[in-house]
Amino acid sequence: MMADVSERRTIPVPDRDSAPYWAALANGQFLLQRCRDCGHWTWPARPICSGCHGDDLAWEAPSGAGEVYSWVITHQPYAPDLARIVPYTVALVRLDEQNDIMIPGRFVSDVEIRQGLRVQAAPERVADDIGILNWKAAERPAAR
Amino acid sequence: MTDTSRFPRSQVAIVGIGCTEFSRDSGVGVFTLATKAAKAAVADAGLRLGDVDGLCTFGVNDSIAPNILAQALGIKSLSFYVDQFYGGSVSLSMIGQATLALSAGVADCVVCYRALNGRSGVRVNGSGGGAGRLPWDMQFKVSAGYIAPSQEIAMAARAHMLKYGTTNEDFGRIAILSRAHALDNERAMMRTPMTMDDYLASRWIVDPFRKFDCCLETDGAVAIVLVRADRAHDLPHRPVLVQGAAWGGGVTVVNNGHTDLTESPARPIADRLYAAAGLGASDIELAELYDCFTYNVLSQIEGYGFAEPGAVPAMLASGAFDRATGSLPLNTHGGLLSEGYIHGLNHVYEAVEQIRGDAGIRQVARHDVALVTGQLGYVSGYSSAAVLVGA
Repeated sequence: MMADVSERRTIPVPDRDSAPYWAALANGQFLLQRCRDCGHWTWPARPICSGCHGDDLAWEAPSGAGEVYSWVITHQPYAPDLARIVPYTVALVRLDEQNDIMIPGRFVSDVEIRQGLRVQAAPERVADDIGILNWKAAERPAAR
Repeated sequence: MTDTSRFPRSQVAIVGIGCTEFSRDSGVGVFTLATKAAKAAVADAGLRLGDVDGLCTFGVNDSIAPNILAQALGIKSLSFYVDQFYGGSVSLSMIGQATLALSAGVADCVVCYRALNGRSGVRVNGSGGGAGRLPWDMQFKVSAGYIAPSQEIAMAARAHMLKYGTTNEDFGRIAILSRAHALDNERAMMRTPMTMDDYLASRWIVDPFRKFDCCLETDGAVAIVLVRADRAHDLPHRPVLVQGAAWGGGVTVVNNGHTDLTESPARPIADRLYAAAGLGASDIELAELYDCFTYNVLSQIEGYGFAEPGAVPAMLASGAFDRATGSLPLNTHGGLLSEGYIHGLNHVYEAVEQIRGDAGIRQVARHDVALVTGQLGYVSGYSSAAVLVGA
């Protein structure tokens, strides 16, 4: 069940440049802009290629795979909807496709997090046209 | 050093400083705080409110704008103003931009100020009602539950721990140093001693940061008065020259194009700053470094050229930054961590007192050349810094 949107400080506020990114996540897809000229991936959503500054960008699906570069464990409840989930872990993940794209997202696996941990994009729908990007471990938790 | 900078070196001086009490609840509005600090600074400069023709401020929709303050101060027509969005990352760009305006002659007397009810009003950590306007890139942070600067800086701090073996105790030494320096500062909000046990016992805020890795939230205001240097010598205090300033780019955590968060965002600022000042890191006698979190200090010691990456912990342990005996007295007032959080303008205030030789029991022995900095680029992508020199 979705939380009351009025206290969802964590729901992004898209604009017309970024809306396709959030809408795709709402549909379970992780899409990034990719330059039709030079093949460079761009994140966050931008009107221009970060590689060659060309204008011809298409929304494409990367593998969604990457590895953890760094992480923080938030104990302080910075917003009402976050108060219910503290402590929670945010991972900064380096994408396999391009090593200069690092995307923060909630880490939602029981696996102990570490630098280099292999992870996979895990979209989560939070409103009609808005999804968020979580990260889950590509490996299973160790047997207990 | 090749002298290629066109910064108007030493052409402008800080001639007045003013502040309010730093507290958890000012009991007044930010309009009152700004007015009190501005009046105090202009009086300190030996000038009259009627001399002021420029106002510069910054904030996150949590303060009072120059056009409103000007009317209260009786300034009928501002010659120059800056009303910059963002917090401490732009604190020294205020000083830099005022310097450009004064040296160009478009203004004759500029007051830079920051006023906020940072504890009782709008809190930067996002829990106190919000600032109304969010930067465009915040959508890519809030969606991860990543909404406070503490989280962004902690992410870089963790990366530094993983790469260089930096420890929580190393961060703790920065918190303890700041507290020690605040003990005899009558302006400081935190004046009880802190031990490593105290530090390690403080609760997690954003692991790897504990409570004492995080700066205070403060109600208060600071104002700084600048005029051209040729006019400064007739005024009551030792002029404090803006030897150089630099502001601008840094990398943020949601800005692709970089691969190593441990590379200090201060590095590109430092190169331009020292070129503007015609000085280098070895010339700096004291440093007031923006310390909203402990790790920022470590990263800036590296980025502004005082240590190789990874070398700061040993310097901390050896007392290199102690006010009385260190080779580089650092955050001599207790900083944002223990004095108060006026988004970096209180660092300027302290540097001016030190350079004047008016810091009393806190006075450092060598006090002619100070580095003062704003927030690292991680949060906004901006950073700022100035080198101040006694005339």
